[in-house]
Amino acid sequence: MRVFITMIYRQTKRFFRARSRVMGMIINPLIWLVFFGLGWSKVFDNPMARTIFGGVDYLTFLAPGIFAMTIFNQSFVSGVSVIWDKQFGFLKEVLVAPASRKETILGRLTGDSLLTTIQGFIILLLTFLLAENLKISGIIPALLIGFLLAIAFSGFGTSLALKMESMEGFQMIMMVLMLPLTFLSGAIYPIEAMPSWMKALAYINPLTYAVDGARYYLVGANVTKFSITIDWAVLSLIAVVLVSLAMVEFEKATID
Amino acid sequence: MYAIEVENLVKKYGDFEAVKGISFKVNRGEIFGFLGPNGAGKTTTVHVLTTLLRLTSGKATVAGHDVVKEPMEVRKRIGIVFQDPSLDRELTAYENMYIHGRIYGLTGNKLEEKIERLLKFVELWEFRDKPVKTFSGGMQRRLEIARSLLHEPEILFLDEPTIGLDPQTRAHIWDYIKAMKEEHNMTIFLTTHYMDEAEQLADRIAIIDHGKIIAEGTANELKKLVGNDVVYLKLEAPEEVKCLKAEFIKGCKILADGKVQLEVENAAEALPKLFTLVQHLGVKILEVTYHRPTLNDVFLHLTGREIREESGENPFKIVRMRVRR
Ligand SMILES: Nc1ncnc2c1ncn2[C@@H]1O[C@H](COP(=O)(O)OP(=O)(O)OP(=O)(O)O)[C@@H](O)[C@H]1O
Ligand SMILES: [Mg+2]
Repeated sequence: MRVFITMIYRQTKRFFRARSRVMGMIINPLIWLVFFGLGWSKVFDNPMARTIFGGVDYLTFLAPGIFAMTIFNQSFVSGVSVIWDKQFGFLKEVLVAPASRKETILGRLTGDSLLTTIQGFIILLLTFLLAENLKISGIIPALLIGFLLAIAFSGFGTSLALKMESMEGFQMIMMVLMLPLTFLSGAIYPIEAMPSWMKALAYINPLTYAVDGARYYLVGANVTKFSITIDWAVLSLIAVVLVSLAMVEFEKATID
Repeated sequence: MYAIEVENLVKKYGDFEAVKGISFKVNRGEIFGFLGPNGAGKTTTVHVLTTLLRLTSGKATVAGHDVVKEPMEVRKRIGIVFQDPSLDRELTAYENMYIHGRIYGLTGNKLEEKIERLLKFVELWEFRDKPVKTFSGGMQRRLEIARSLLHEPEILFLDEPTIGLDPQTRAHIWDYIKAMKEEHNMTIFLTTHYMDEAEQLADRIAIIDHGKIIAEGTANELKKLVGNDVVYLKLEAPEEVKCLKAEFIKGCKILADGKVQLEVENAAEALPKLFTLVQHLGVKILEVTYHRPTLNDVFLHLTGREIREESGENPFKIVRMRVRR
């Protein structure tokens, strides 16, 4: 447990040391919510559009999507930040320590995911100011969904970073993965409205199930695509697989 | 039992053999110097011994445990200062120490006391709450040394501990290393490409070049490989002087400028005897100089090249070696 807790402590310290980064992470989703969400909400302010979005106004539809998107982006970045530890050498200090590597990386992922979930929470509170019909009772279960999503993608980012040689590679993967996964998750428009090939991609996108789950708790069962049981099951499975992958990668890590 | 035992250690990166079958033993409580030029394979060896790199073949035992079969047991007993920085730059000196201590199982008052004592030892206590990224190279190095001592390792690895530092800071760090050895009777494995550093600190030295150990012994033993010390005497009346004879004088020559050149095994011990001898002859000595072979001469003698000392500030590793024939 000691290494697990110590890594959470370290990630937390680092996080609050870089305040400008914290602000940046909150501002980005806010831009989406305000300039994208508010803008389109006027366009979609008619009964026909409401049926497309499951009978709610566009901001209400979008809010859980922005929440999941914030967590997804941030957790991916924090996972990949292992590459900075590699770059600045702290990774060696961890690898040479007589501590369980599995526990070490699990602590790191948990710490990062808790912090990411807190950021998601802040975004969620802000969306409550804009969107009309969100359920306060949905916050806590939505945060749990958010945490699962966070730890899954932190794990994925970590595995990638341990494999990756260069920062350029990282930038490319960000480009190739992040935006498409966001668009293919039903966060911005419903999966129902997508052409079938996009739908197929949406189904295999883990983010889809987090958006759907968050929507279930924050808006209601009538706007979701899958049953909440499926959302939980898929997300849990993916989290277990991706975190295990990160643990295996970290166990093998040398400094070649 | 030896602190470190290495037998035919080979490490390849792909096809490239960085360490080509080296063997050596390090006694408990000694400072073992691993001296060699850039790219000789020093860091590679350290990383294999500290379980960070997997060896290609051979056998290495550290603190009685095999580095491949029991890496965890090895890790518990070693401390290391890496050649390249390994601190968390965003965190403060104290936080870096604290996290290290926790990872190694220290807690509470005991941990706090130790951090305080060690930060004072390396004279960083007043900077404890400053982020490491604001530290100079020398301060970072001192912090890394303090950190490596926190869990009281049996064996300490120092990979070029003073590379890139100015002369004062280097001397300072040498003092810490000596004090550490005195206080804790620790075994220290020190790599360096500075001859003076190896000579100042190491009880025994192995010279490594192109992945092979080419010589091993105390600094004096190594120098013997090159030859004797040479003493030059300038006398008042050279024309009257023949060559001096005594059992400690291994060779004697009168040089063109009239100076007497003498070969002795150990100049420091021979000089007083020489003075007495010359005095008995009733000749006045005007000038004395002597030359002892340096480790550089040893390296030159063995490889035909010099270990070039790079200027301290150069952060880039440039292999600049002059080939002499
Ligand atoms: N990860 C790696 N992949 C491939 N080759 C490597 C790697 N690391 C080191 N080498 C090569 O292995 C050789 C030995 O390198 P090493 O770092 O052990 O030397 P060193 O004695 O520590 O040198 P320096 O004084 O520059 O630190 C060098 O030729 C180097 O280029
Ligand atoms: Mg090196």
